[in-house]
Amino acid sequence: MTIRVGVAGAGGFGRAIAIASARHGHDVMLWSRSARDLPESIHVSSDMGPLRECDLIFLAVPARHAVDAAEQLGEVIDGRHLVVHVSRGLVGAELKTITQVVREKTVCRRVGALAGPLVADALAEGRPSGAILGTGFPELTAMVREAIGGSDLRIYETSDVVGVELASATVGFLTVVLGYVQELGAEPGTLAVLATRGMAEISRIGVTLGAKESTFMGLAGLGDLIAAVAGDKRPESRLGRALGLGAELGTAIGELGSYVEGFEVARHMIEHARRDGLETPISSTFVAVSEGRMGPEDAIHALMERRVGRE
Amino acid sequence: MLKRFLSERPLRLPHLKPYVPRPSDPSIFWFNSERDDIVSDVVSRICGALETDRSHLELALNDAAFHEIRRLEKQRDDEARDRLGYWRSMIRRVAKMDDSEQRRVLHTIVTSMARDVAGNFDPRVYRFARQAVPRLIGGVMEPRRLSKDLMATAPTALDRVLRVQGDLEHLQQLQSRGSLVFVPTHSSNLDSIVLAQALETAGLPPAIYGAGKNLFTNPIISFFMHNLGAYRVDRRIRVSLYKDVLKLYSQVMIERGYHSLFFPGGTRSRSGMIERHVKLGLLGSAVEAFTTNQVRRIDRPVWFVPTTINYALVLEAETLIRDWLTEEGQARYIIEDDEFSRIDRWVAFFRKVVGMRGACIIRFGTPIDPFGNDVDETGQSVTPTGRVIDPGGYVEHRGKPVADPARDAAYTRELGEVLARRYEQDTVLMSTQVVAHVLFRALVQATPGMDLFARLRLRGEIALEQEEVCKAIGEAQERLGDLERKGRVLLSDVVKEDAPSELLERALGYWNGYHDSTAARLEGNRVVLHDPSLLLYYQNRLVPFAEDIADPEQLEAACEIQKLGAHR
Repeated sequence: MTIRVGVAGAGGFGRAIAIASARHGHDVMLWSRSARDLPESIHVSSDMGPLRECDLIFLAVPARHAVDAAEQLGEVIDGRHLVVHVSRGLVGAELKTITQVVREKTVCRRVGALAGPLVADALAEGRPSGAILGTGFPELTAMVREAIGGSDLRIYETSDVVGVELASATVGFLTVVLGYVQELGAEPGTLAVLATRGMAEISRIGVTLGAKESTFMGLAGLGDLIAAVAGDKRPESRLGRALGLGAELGTAIGELGSYVEGFEVARHMIEHARRDGLETPISSTFVAVSEGRMGPEDAIHALMERRVGRE
Repeated sequence: MLKRFLSERPLRLPHLKPYVPRPSDPSIFWFNSERDDIVSDVVSRICGALETDRSHLELALNDAAFHEIRRLEKQRDDEARDRLGYWRSMIRRVAKMDDSEQRRVLHTIVTSMARDVAGNFDPRVYRFARQAVPRLIGGVMEPRRLSKDLMATAPTALDRVLRVQGDLEHLQQLQSRGSLVFVPTHSSNLDSIVLAQALETAGLPPAIYGAGKNLFTNPIISFFMHNLGAYRVDRRIRVSLYKDVLKLYSQVMIERGYHSLFFPGGTRSRSGMIERHVKLGLLGSAVEAFTTNQVRRIDRPVWFVPTTINYALVLEAETLIRDWLTEEGQARYIIEDDEFSRIDRWVAFFRKVVGMRGACIIRFGTPIDPFGNDVDETGQSVTPTGRVIDPGGYVEHRGKPVADPARDAAYTRELGEVLARRYEQDTVLMSTQVVAHVLFRALVQATPGMDLFARLRLRGEIALEQEEVCKAIGEAQERLGDLERKGRVLLSDVVKEDAPSELLERALGYWNGYHDSTAARLEGNRVVLHDPSLLLYYQNRLVPFAEDIADPEQLEAACEIQKLGAHR
């Protein structure tokens, strides 16, 4: 059955979702001010109004634009719509997730978060891949699978929406950390320890925010991190390598040409952990390194000298 | 024996002539004429869902027999003697029964459960209760005025103690357009009585509610509850079928337009904190009632009215906090030995609160639809920007309203979160709670590094300068005032208007003489903390705001207090 799919945002992911949905034979409406080079079957509008006619809407804007986009969306959608976002970020010091933003700014309740090691190019081209959808609404999963899933994309499901969003948002920061130590010549074993313990550290914070620990060890967390380390060309990885070469954070971000929100998320998470009495050795150390408060050798030393506990 | 008789067969008045409801009567007046139909609707829906699959049906029967045998073996009372034989014989035979016998047994069990749950409504009892109950309670409060109160039409002592707040006109307009579901916070067994009186005072219709079967053992309460439409909930029964009957009974009542009341917290807040986690069973029944009406194209909306019940003095405070502090408190749903079961404590309680201006405030919040949207005076759901939306859209799938229990369960979880937020915003902070918070925070400050239980043992060991306490109360009042202006909480008039020293004196006066040991007492120029557990109970209402109303020196203690909320 044909679904009327709406996509808000024409960045890499928004375009990929629009192309994948059109390939599956659905009616696609893309909200964009400047989308070009798209298949003819995809309708483009610079006005959000036409999204009102859609059944399923993908919100595909960076987290920093999510509040504005959700606000605009809130003027046209209602309880009939199902909304999924693909942002890998959080909003503000209170670590607000994008589904929370959507719930606050719109009256839509059937909301979910699509995350995991899904890459825009693979999605657009229909190469085998997988993703995780966090939602409390099974009908939303069914519709997303029908819209973009199939033999080329396996979409797993979890009701731990917060876990998916927190894991997805913090993988960016861990990718920077791993890029940094890779540039310093770290062995694969060192990378594995940092990745695993970094994820464990983040999952402890996530649990205090209502997430399940297991979600961080699944596709949204470790799965996504493996994809990043294996070289899916994420900007976070390049940023980490630039920092490893001695670049200053502001300059490195400026030269990257794309926005990386991992550090902001990490700072807020560290602050949250401090208030809850949780330790964040890996995050705190690498934020200090990125801010020039600690050198690479001191950082490694500080982490390696810590008391070793049970896993 | 009498207890069992009363709880199973509450007294009813004989009917010489059936009452014919008038169009202006509240919906509950139609209940008796519809009761059999409601029971058979519940039975047919439950049996219909199970009868199509033998394995489900057999599982349901086995589950019922297993749980009932387990319960009755523990009970070892008259009921056990009567019923154990039936269940033991049934569990032996279930697998050997043919389909028709299984269906017949299921029908018998479900019918018996549904009849046990269903209440009664007697307009004569209703009229008597609305006239006499407030005057009798007023009489207990002020015995010298009893004869005057019974005769007069002037406000009773109860009217003076009870304050009703909220946009009552808004609710009055909605009552004839759909089903109102009142979902209050729960602190005391007095809540349902106080709330019934508040509905009467506010010009709102009576609502049906589920009352624990343990309350039906008191013959007077049993008589009133049963004859005012309350349905009985036996929390000892763990059978899945019974839970289905309860939920469906509530759902069918709401579908048919009966205004309802249930406590989403499930049980009284043991800690005194504002409920943050709500139970989803009955809440879900109301959401499903909305869906069912939509699917059947019946235009009868369902609206929820978040309601907070705020007491300056809580009848069962000592038992509740003791229960919270002990391990069993987390799971003990039925307390039969608390202050509610002791008439002397009722009398002491009512006599204590009689002099308290607005000792109990019932706050009816803005009504919301099942999806958390505000509802305007005409019953339309509106977005925060004022756009009118159709709530029916939430249960549509590709343009058609459809039943989907998984979806409705997700909506119910979200509604629970909305209610928790509303409870916080609509809580009216009372004098005892504010003073208790200031005193308890000072106790935490004075005992750094000490654990909660060690602090609670410091009875009479901590004394604070009265002047310092008053200063801290004044600052707390000021900061709470800021929070109220931001819409985060509400304050009672005395918290807003009293000078700090008056507020302190008022709170100490409330505690002194009602509770077995007073929470704190003024000794010379010092405030001595006598019962930190009681202070903890009353101050717990302020847990979500502790950090917001602390100055930098108090922040560490406030953080520690706020962390108590993590275990709510």
